[in-house]
Amino acid sequence: MRIGVYLCQVDVEKNLNLDAIAKYSANLPEVELVRSLGVKPKLNPLELCRELKTNRIQRVIIAGDMPGYYKPVFTKAMAMAGYNPHEVRLASFREHGAAGHDSNDRAKAIVACATRGVPFALAAVPKETPVGHATLIIGGGVAGIQAALEIADAGKQVYLVERTGTIGGHMAMFDKTFPTLDCAACILTPKMVSIAQHDMIDLMTRSEVESVSGVPGAYHVKIRQHARFVDIDACVACDICSGVCPVKVPSEFDAGLSMRKAIYIPFPQAVPNAYLIDPASCTYIQTDGEKCGVCAKKCPKECIDLHQQDTITEVDVGNIIIATGYDVLDAKKLEQYGYGIYPNVFTALEFERMTNASGSTGGKIVTKTKVQNKRTKEDEWVLLPDGVAPKSVAIIHCVGSRNKKYNAYCSRVCCMYSLKFAHLVREKVPNVECYEFYIDMRAFGKGYEEFAERIKSEGTFVVRGRSATVEMHGDQMIVNGEDIIHDKVLEFPVDMVVLAIGLIPAPGTVELSNMLGLSRDADGWFSELDYNGNPTDTERGGIFVAGMCQAPKDIPDTVAQASAVAAGVLRTITSGKGIGHLSSLTLSEIEQRAQQIHTE
Amino acid sequence: MAIRVNPGLIEELVHFGAEDVQYCYHCGDCSANCPHSDEVFRFPRKWMRTLQMGLERKLETALEPWLCYYCGQCSEQCPREADPGETMMSLRRWLISRYDFTGVARLFYTSRQAEIWTIIAIALLTGIGFLWYGLSFGNIHVYDGDGAFLPSSFIHTFDLTLGSLLALVLLINAFRMWYLTLHNERVVPIPWWLYIKRIYLIPWHFFTQKRYAECESKRSTHIFMPWIIHLFLMLGYVIMLVLVMAFIEQLQLGPAIFWPVHVFGYAATIGLLIGTIYFIQNRAIRNRQIQYKKSHSTDWVFVILLCIIVVTGILQHLLHRTGFLAAANITYVIHLMAVVPWLFRMPFSKWAHLVYRPLAMYFADILRDAIKIQEKKEQLIPGLAIG
Repeated sequence: MRIGVYLCQVDVEKNLNLDAIAKYSANLPEVELVRSLGVKPKLNPLELCRELKTNRIQRVIIAGDMPGYYKPVFTKAMAMAGYNPHEVRLASFREHGAAGHDSNDRAKAIVACATRGVPFALAAVPKETPVGHATLIIGGGVAGIQAALEIADAGKQVYLVERTGTIGGHMAMFDKTFPTLDCAACILTPKMVSIAQHDMIDLMTRSEVESVSGVPGAYHVKIRQHARFVDIDACVACDICSGVCPVKVPSEFDAGLSMRKAIYIPFPQAVPNAYLIDPASCTYIQTDGEKCGVCAKKCPKECIDLHQQDTITEVDVGNIIIATGYDVLDAKKLEQYGYGIYPNVFTALEFERMTNASGSTGGKIVTKTKVQNKRTKEDEWVLLPDGVAPKSVAIIHCVGSRNKKYNAYCSRVCCMYSLKFAHLVREKVPNVECYEFYIDMRAFGKGYEEFAERIKSEGTFVVRGRSATVEMHGDQMIVNGEDIIHDKVLEFPVDMVVLAIGLIPAPGTVELSNMLGLSRDADGWFSELDYNGNPTDTERGGIFVAGMCQAPKDIPDTVAQASAVAAGVLRTITSGKGIGHLSSLTLSEIEQRAQQIHTE
Repeated sequence: MAIRVNPGLIEELVHFGAEDVQYCYHCGDCSANCPHSDEVFRFPRKWMRTLQMGLERKLETALEPWLCYYCGQCSEQCPREADPGETMMSLRRWLISRYDFTGVARLFYTSRQAEIWTIIAIALLTGIGFLWYGLSFGNIHVYDGDGAFLPSSFIHTFDLTLGSLLALVLLINAFRMWYLTLHNERVVPIPWWLYIKRIYLIPWHFFTQKRYAECESKRSTHIFMPWIIHLFLMLGYVIMLVLVMAFIEQLQLGPAIFWPVHVFGYAATIGLLIGTIYFIQNRAIRNRQIQYKKSHSTDWVFVILLCIIVVTGILQHLLHRTGFLAAANITYVIHLMAVVPWLFRMPFSKWAHLVYRPLAMYFADILRDAIKIQEKKEQLIPGLAIG
């Protein structure tokens, strides 16, 4: 069969070397004629017909982007020449992925397949890559912990990478879980300890993924372990170093409600149970060793090394699980609620820490007390265990959520934790009034509606209508809002306001998605492969999402998704079949396969 | 009695400018933020709901849209960008069309084409009419006195005729407003003497536009420019109207214009000029303040006409003073070509606010008093009588 190849483009694709493709096409078997028609050619069927006739072309290949555009002209020319008009084949570059860098080989393969009359998709089937048995989990919150334990218990190696000094994530900060009012720590801490003791889990705290290369089933990951300055194995958490450290900064774990030292342990049950130094606030590190360094001198185990450097660890893994979790919106952006202006306006996370028995007030719900700062001689509001209990508390739902100016989406957990707060307030403070300001009550899970009804029946005032502003009238804080059901604008005198602040993707989500080549949805959360059918996989093989990083969800859903992800990872490991990638195929492999199909 | 819903109402309101009502999810931020929303008259959220439900009969009886001066605080804070402020503005347009028995307001608001062609037709008719009159009975080189191109006595008669016709239309519309808001939808019995006791509120609100200044109460800046500008424009307009209606003969006199007429004439011109410039500046350079972000086409027709009137008015005065009498007469005709359609639009457009707003404040206060009386009579807890 005599074949003619026509190269034509509807658009300039700068990554395609058309001359090279033409040269390659000319060397293909049975190809008699190669013509480069350039960009957006105007074709005359008569001229084409003449050309086809003189060269006695029996099959025409139109190669380029959207070659189907020119198919009718060639069909006409073939018919006029008296050949079979059905022998016009398309070699569509863009459709088969020959765009972007490294597209030349792909384009050549597409032409090669077309000349043999073999569909490209039949010839170019990627081989299944062997899957490495180790798994990398990014994020040590409850999702990462659950997935790590599931996989490790199945006997496979797990590298658990956590940015902060301890695993546990946000759940470790919580006091109770809804709707059962179980103690959050009682659920989480045993799991955390299991992580630390597990033979198959390599826990890397204060670590961040620096780069990822490779293909699904065989990823090569570089992990930067930031210096902890304390030997994890030697430290016995005796607290002597923290006692002598002169630096005080707000505690991240305590949502800024209390102070920690520059050398600290995030919380007593932290895993690994060892102290760490925050280099940003440590005097010794900031002054390059000129001042302080007292902790290293006092440490009885001599496990503090103030000159420790970051280390890079490289691991080869088959699968990666993203479980980076979430962050909360900056409540200061919503000026109308007075967060950061009035002392007794708290975010939900702050309230969680206040009501937690390990928090700075020992679990007492109190308003802030005015004290004079000894150093600056200025009055400041601090939370003390012997503070005055509030007489009335307002809990405002949907702060920054379902709001086109901040988060258009529903944060999904706020309604339920706000109801939980109301319960905790009424349980811990006698004779307190508690108001819930909501727009729509979303109690969608098992036992949630019953929980909501229970809270209402306990005597919490549930006001339909999210309040508009928080103001100070003298010493009294006033919440202004409309009671939609009663159709009245009302004022509520309260002593404490809790803002159910909206959730946003964790910091670093953008960088991570760029590094891994994953897409994110319009709200910034990681995109899953298919919302209904495949909510744990991503568009890149061997990379999974679990927990909040995919979308806001509560603890039961997070744990369920983490377990589902573990099942997905174990599936690839046991079957040994990872999703192959076209890029793993070479041109000659595709040529050979096309020839094989052709002869068959 | 149940109220019949009209599911098409929300679509209809789109023509009047309310486009985003459906977004509202009733958080109540707007009503709680509004400096004018009170115990008896609560808005905007309630009326967003009424609109979403399509309760046409209930909307007709609403006084609330007139109590809103569109400071824009509700729209600024709206989490759904449902634009409650603009909705209230659109409701005012819709209510104008409802009060209007002629149907002209509705036509103007819903069809830009109809409005523009009507205005052009009226302008041309006016122009041709006055030219014909002037050329037949007067001399183009004479501006005032005997043999004038357009004698002031003739203009005076013309003004008064047109004015009384329009006043009649407005009066009937105002009556319809009273019927819909106070009479038809009677919440509580209203004693007749309340109407007399509160009558002073009409001129009070008319001349001070005081409630607009109250929009200020929840803001941090203390000088509320829109109110002052609004007052300037409104007073300028009223003074000019009085001058034209009652003192046109003095106004058109040659060198011997009576001095108070002169002073008021200049004052009114300045008021109108400032108002017009402010209006154009805000609407042309959008996103300065939220209330100027959206403009209905009728707003623009209004401002363009006003612009022509102010410019030709000043020009005509200048030409007259400098002795270019023929040019002054021609400018006068152009001036009238803008004035007549503008006056004609008055009962059917935004300028009807001048009548309806003070009336609404008056009615609202009467209703408040009546409710108080009723509550005292029935010894009810305050706020219960109105359900």
